[in-house]
Amino acid sequence: MSVFDGLKFRKVKSPIHDLDPRVKFIYVCVIFAIALIFWELIPLLILFLIQLPFVLLGKVQRQWLRSLRGAAFLAIIIFVTNFVFSFIGAGYRFTAESLESAFALTFRFVVLVESFSIFFLTTSPDNLSLALEQTRVPYEFCFAFTTAVRFVPVLANEAQTIMDAQKARGLELERGNFLKRIKNYIPILIPLIVSAIRRSLELAEAMESRAWGATKNRTNLYVLRMNKNDFILLAITTGILITAVYIRLFIPIPSVCELLEI
Amino acid sequence: MAIIETENLTYTYPGATNPSIRNVSIKIEKGEFVLITGPSGCGKTTLCRCFNGLIPHFYQGKLEGEVFVAGLKVDEHSIHELAKHVGLVFQNPENQLFALSVEKDVAFGLENLGVPRDEIRRRVDWAMKLTGIYHLKDRAPNELSGGQQQRVAIASVLAMKPEIIVLDEPTSFLDPLGAENIFKVIYELNRKFGITIILVEHRLDLTAKYADHIIIMDNGEILLDGETRSVLNSEKARLVGVGIPKATRLYQILKKDRVNLRSTIPLSSDEMAAMLEEVLKSK
Repeated sequence: MSVFDGLKFRKVKSPIHDLDPRVKFIYVCVIFAIALIFWELIPLLILFLIQLPFVLLGKVQRQWLRSLRGAAFLAIIIFVTNFVFSFIGAGYRFTAESLESAFALTFRFVVLVESFSIFFLTTSPDNLSLALEQTRVPYEFCFAFTTAVRFVPVLANEAQTIMDAQKARGLELERGNFLKRIKNYIPILIPLIVSAIRRSLELAEAMESRAWGATKNRTNLYVLRMNKNDFILLAITTGILITAVYIRLFIPIPSVCELLEI
Repeated sequence: MAIIETENLTYTYPGATNPSIRNVSIKIEKGEFVLITGPSGCGKTTLCRCFNGLIPHFYQGKLEGEVFVAGLKVDEHSIHELAKHVGLVFQNPENQLFALSVEKDVAFGLENLGVPRDEIRRRVDWAMKLTGIYHLKDRAPNELSGGQQQRVAIASVLAMKPEIIVLDEPTSFLDPLGAENIFKVIYELNRKFGITIILVEHRLDLTAKYADHIIIMDNGEILLDGETRSVLNSEKARLVGVGIPKATRLYQILKKDRVNLRSTIPLSSDEMAAMLEEVLKSK
């Protein structure tokens, strides 16, 4: 679960948190795309490093590290499979190149996790839904999104209560083989679903009572406006993209092995 | 015309065989503080749902008789139209807050109505200050206590500037102190802004002193309807088991024992204490 912990938003004041989520999203997509067009270690390392200032500016180092730690397991799997396959591909010979390419592909994954985690750690779900709304996504979807985020802790709490209640009645969750254990969760799932349905009815009632759907031209208390920092980020993003594409097309990239002349 | 008027109102939920409320005819005047009480399942909540159009629009079912709210015939106007006149606050505070911050939640109704942004800002701040939650405006609803959540729910209804606020057992999830605070907020809205308040509540000890008008229901029907003191002093009120204020009960017992008390019936322990002091001094 630690991967998800690393994606959970916490309210902090920072220049990165104040950025327009739309611009941040473009930035993440660009980093994503660049990570995919390179397979050499050096550019991917650079890509990893240029994101560090964002983490520090956003004051989310700890959560960010946690999300990386959560991704470590997958990263190791990626590394091992790549290494084994290139080992086999090279005719069962251990080469420095195969080690490097396995590292590069692992770093590609780490860069992806890194950029997404920066995005989610520094963007409040409220702002995200506002961004969706302003990009003309129908309000119903944005509302569903924020409500889902809002009720995750509530439902988690409720699941815990139900679990405790069922355990008090003698239900043993951690017993039996795999299938039996899944079956054990049925007495928890059913009350949880029933109460969620009931809750949704009450929610619908409350929404109706607060003029849901009164007008097509819904207004919003907040509005996203691009300010100086957003344009700076946009400029940086464009700069990175152009440089990356230029390097890819016209500059041969040396590998670490060549540099070290192994 | 009264601000809420029902005439022979009878309503049956879809799939139910018996009506939940029967022949309800009441009149609520503008600016009144009305208390509705009665044993569980007597139709109080059903009646509240009739006031803002959830019945019949949301619940369907069979509605007979007539309901007029703020001059509008409920079954001919949609819920969102009525929402501008009647605000409904529910029992469970958790299930009536949808947004991720208090401020956004208070703004929800106004956003739905398409009110311009400056106006939303002004009304949201006003409502949050009145209910004493301005310092919580950036917090998430699930970080708040039940009492705070319920105040957010009241603020979000208040921001829509309704003439009537209906509260359906707003304090049943709260501790006594949280409940007391909610009642004070409601009372202030009633006195300062003349908002008609309809409060459904069991704890008469805490609330009777605020009410001008009390309606006691039993089994889907109106049992008693009238001025608070005289209704609570009646034998019928005691027998239906609505838990009349202890002060009122004590007054009745002392009166029976021929203690020479004033004729105004006390509703709170403060009133009772003053009355007893008066008697003791005169001796």
